[in-house]
Amino acid sequence: MRILIVEDEKSLASELKQFLEKEEYNCDVAITGSEASELIAINPYDFILLDIGLPDYNGLDLIEEGKKYNPEAYFIVITARGELEDKIKGFDLGADDYLPKPFSLLELLSRIQAITRRKFGQKMSIIEFGDFSLDTNKRHLQYKEDGVDLTKKEYKLLSYLVLNKNRILDRLQLTEHIWGDFFEDDYDSNYIDVHIKNIRKKLSAFDKTDWIKTVRGIGYKFEI
Amino acid sequence: MKIPQLKLKNQLALFNALSKALIITLLVIIVPWIVSEISIRETDDVLIQKLDQVIELVDSLGIDNYIDMESEFKTFGSYNILKEEYISIEQIENDTLYDVIEFSQRIIENELVDYRVLSYSIRENGNNYLIEIGKSISTIYHFEQNLKRFTFLFLLIVITLTLILDLSFIQYLLIPLDKIIKKLKSTNHPSSFDYSAVKTSTSDFIYLDETIHSLMRKIVEAFNDERDYISNVSHELLTPVSIIQSKLDNILNESSLPEEDMIKIFESKKTLRRLTNLVRTLLMMSRIENEEYILTEKVNLTNTLQNVLDEIEDKIVAKNLELKLKFKAKSFVFPGNDNLLFTLFYNFINNAIRYTDKGHISIETMKENNQFLIKISDTGIGIHKDKIPHIFSRFKNSSETKDSYGLGLALSKKICDYHNIEVEVVSELNKGSVFTLKFPN
Repeated sequence: MRILIVEDEKSLASELKQFLEKEEYNCDVAITGSEASELIAINPYDFILLDIGLPDYNGLDLIEEGKKYNPEAYFIVITARGELEDKIKGFDLGADDYLPKPFSLLELLSRIQAITRRKFGQKMSIIEFGDFSLDTNKRHLQYKEDGVDLTKKEYKLLSYLVLNKNRILDRLQLTEHIWGDFFEDDYDSNYIDVHIKNIRKKLSAFDKTDWIKTVRGIGYKFEI
Repeated sequence: MKIPQLKLKNQLALFNALSKALIITLLVIIVPWIVSEISIRETDDVLIQKLDQVIELVDSLGIDNYIDMESEFKTFGSYNILKEEYISIEQIENDTLYDVIEFSQRIIENELVDYRVLSYSIRENGNNYLIEIGKSISTIYHFEQNLKRFTFLFLLIVITLTLILDLSFIQYLLIPLDKIIKKLKSTNHPSSFDYSAVKTSTSDFIYLDETIHSLMRKIVEAFNDERDYISNVSHELLTPVSIIQSKLDNILNESSLPEEDMIKIFESKKTLRRLTNLVRTLLMMSRIENEEYILTEKVNLTNTLQNVLDEIEDKIVAKNLELKLKFKAKSFVFPGNDNLLFTLFYNFINNAIRYTDKGHISIETMKENNQFLIKISDTGIGIHKDKIPHIFSRFKNSSETKDSYGLGLALSKKICDYHNIEVEVVSELNKGSVFTLKFPN
């Protein structure tokens, strides 16, 4: 998987690169719009991560160019301007997803993974642990032949943990993923804990294995 | 006394009608007087002419021709059948000279008749004679009536005609003003202003139109500057936050750190999140102040409320609270901004949940006096009555223990004001609070 990061803040670009390379993506970085324009014309990319607020280039023009030279590429648009208009225009022009700054790197990764799963279909959409199988297309959890009855939020939480297995997810990341970025100040609350408790209860009705580990003071981790 | 507000067109029409009514009233009072004056003068002239003729006749034919000197009554009288006129000559004893015209009554054939009478004395053959020429009032009156009728008819026609002409001219003259006003009324956002010039030959309207256009351009410029400014502030504040957040994410992702350090980094992330929320909320408030959100979406309030509940319901369940829903009013479609209204409902319900540890959260919709109301009540800690006036101010806390009450409610109030929604707060300490949202019709 090859990703082009278009971000004029060098410091942020290098963090994105470091994180994505650790996830075994092949990354190029363009600090300016014209640099990005050249790279897009030469290289085939699977993903183009685009900060729409470039000083030297209209970000929306880059999407048009990208669609021309890299028709297969998926665009994830990043902006710190928070303009609703850009969001709508971005989707109109073929941006596939939109992330407002600041976003958690894990959230970015999960958006990339979600698009990838959509792209490769059925094969990648089912994740198994023990005798459980999680179908990310149908948003459904199954134990052997039986369906496990999860609420919408419980499903969202569990799938996020499963998709990021063996990684510590802190409460902030979980809250952001489940409730989005409303002006929410409840990340100290125990809502996540209540949900985890319920998920554990529902899973242990089928299998006593303790999949979800508590990481004290931070959050949770799904261990396989 | 409250003076009713009227359109210029109607005011001019009203003034026009009133001034004409005033003229008519004046004429109604004055005309009869003038007419009767004229008719009296006219009559008097006729009487004098007749007197001249009579005197001429008497001079040429001699008085004997009219008065029989032998008879007992030395008088001559002549009147026509309808008693409209009479002429009399009578010998008088005294030397008084008469030369008057006056109203007077005469008995002719046992009938009392009002006359305008010219009395004039002459001296003939050593005797004094009094000549009287009379014209009956009823004939004068008749003439007067005709004159009046004609005058009023004429006035009525003239006034009606000028009224119609004036009104249609005012109407025509003010068409450009109507267009300018229509243009202003249809502008609900500076960016949607219509710059096409209004066609008119009235220089005042051209000036008005052009001035409004240039003001509008200034407003749009200020609006755009403000929007750019907010957008830049947003960028300048959120980009550094984003860099720090990514760096912290990467450090945590190494997971080779001792637990203590990981917790510290997580705490920093939480602080950063608080800063992010603060910046986002302030930016949203600025955007509302700059009226960047369009208010023309047709928002089904019950649907939006239901969407918020879907999002938030599990928090109610997690806190073991009861949710009471009473959607008594039919769904109400309100022109507004769905995103803002979602945030508004979310904030109020979220607050209710946050400050309630046992009991219930109740959400009601109802119609009262034709107004759609949403009532969000809880059985939470309530608000001290001294603090209720301050809960919508920025950065004033209702509860010292939780740190973010102020800005959330300040934002909610902004959203309400932006939509002309009225908020009513009733609260009792340790009993709970009721927030009522009253939507304009």
